[in-house]
Amino acid sequence: MATDLTERVQEIAEARGIPESEILEQALERGVEDLWVDLVLSRYIDDEIDRETAINLVGRDRVKRAEQEVQAVEDDVRWGLNA
Amino acid sequence: MILAVVDAGPIIHLDEIDALALLSVVDELLIPQTVYQELEAGMVPPALETIEYELVESDTTGLGVELDPGETAALTVASERAAVLLTDDLAARDAANDRDVEVHGSIGILVLASTRGELEKSAAAELMRALQTETSLFVTDAVVEHGISLLDES
Repeated sequence: MATDLTERVQEIAEARGIPESEILEQALERGVEDLWVDLVLSRYIDDEIDRETAINLVGRDRVKRAEQEVQAVEDDVRWGLNA
Repeated sequence: MILAVVDAGPIIHLDEIDALALLSVVDELLIPQTVYQELEAGMVPPALETIEYELVESDTTGLGVELDPGETAALTVASERAAVLLTDDLAARDAANDRDVEVHGSIGILVLASTRGELEKSAAAELMRALQTETSLFVTDAVVEHGISLLDES
């Protein structure tokens, strides 16, 4: 995995003509953003924050998508337990 | 008695976590020819041959949905035969709900396998986490943990 990451960073840097350090900085920003979204959605799903707060933090589309996912998973679990 | 028709999603996702055999937890499994052809375009999972299923034809003309051909075929068969549609695609789930077709996905199969004694509850929970981390399933990790908590409470 480490080798894959190193090679990918090198390839992206060469393709874009920018330093590897800048690629790593962008990767860190994207990674933190993803983790932040996961955290906010987790808090919303667990009723720790309300819907409007979640929308303000990560956007309406992500919140609606999470709601669809929750509905699908709840339906699946109920079916699996009772079918 | 559970009659189910599956599209490519659950076949691929369950195979990716080495759990494809659990599809046999339903009583009768149908796979549309179109779905099988989609699998053949990549590689039909060898584990599919370890479970019983029936290949079925489908006439999708007039269904009027904007889904992939395999999803459309599976929804058509499910509607015609009053079968459960097994799909992991959220748009396909919406289309099924719009047509009053019962629809579930890979997570439902794992929970059903647990309920029917094919899998320990803890193993079902681990496989649910694997679906999220090792496959392209729609679901985010917070939602998977929510599903596991529902399973634990049962």
